[in-house]
Amino acid sequence: MKNKIKVYRAMQDLTQEDLALAIGVTRQTILAIEKGKYVPSLDLAFRIARYFKVNVEDVFTYEEGVRTIDID
Amino acid sequence: MKKNIFYLMIGVVAVALLAIFWYSVENFTPLFFTIAFVVGIILLYLAYRKVDDFVEDERSARITEKAAMRTLQVFWVCFCAFSIMAVMDLLDIHRLSRAFWLERGPDTVPTVVMPLRMIGYIQLVLLCLMIFLYVGFRVYYARKYGEWETDEE
Repeated sequence: MKNKIKVYRAMQDLTQEDLALAIGVTRQTILAIEKGKYVPSLDLAFRIARYFKVNVEDVFTYEEGVRTIDID
Repeated sequence: MKKNIFYLMIGVVAVALLAIFWYSVENFTPLFFTIAFVVGIILLYLAYRKVDDFVEDERSARITEKAAMRTLQVFWVCFCAFSIMAVMDLLDIHRLSRAFWLERGPDTVPTVVMPLRMIGYIQLVLLCLMIFLYVGFRVYYARKYGEWETDEE
């Protein structure tokens, strides 16, 4: 799962901390999502997209055949 | 309540429990410590519910959940393996051994290798090791989910 959170943050001149506070998560979570270490839940993905006033597909891109990191 | 006050409370309860533990050992009143321990945990739980500036997001919850699940998976295998061996030892299941039935001699029956009290102690040690196992898994999954990642910001 690819995402453009960093791009949208830059466009709105937001820090990770600002975004984290706005959507009610920790800065580490934003960082982990940006780096592709953590795939957010559908709920969180929608909250992020709503915050940037765009669709989920604009922020997150599902990559066919690419296995995202799972915790095993 | 602020989370720093909660952390302070944890320290106070821990010190109080340590004092009660010392008192219980000195006066041989284990029940007193047991009750105090339960009361302490309940107090901390009630205080935890009053904390309003905790941010436990879904990633933290998932790390905790995964670590707990893995700990249980590893723990029950170790615990059951040991317990089965201990029960077999207690029930003298060596009598089912081929050597015993072939030779039928009393010498072929091994003596009980583990006293009952020792079994209990080892099970307690395994329970204590469970905490370390949990911490290990917690660290592992936290690293995997980028807990200590640094960024340019």
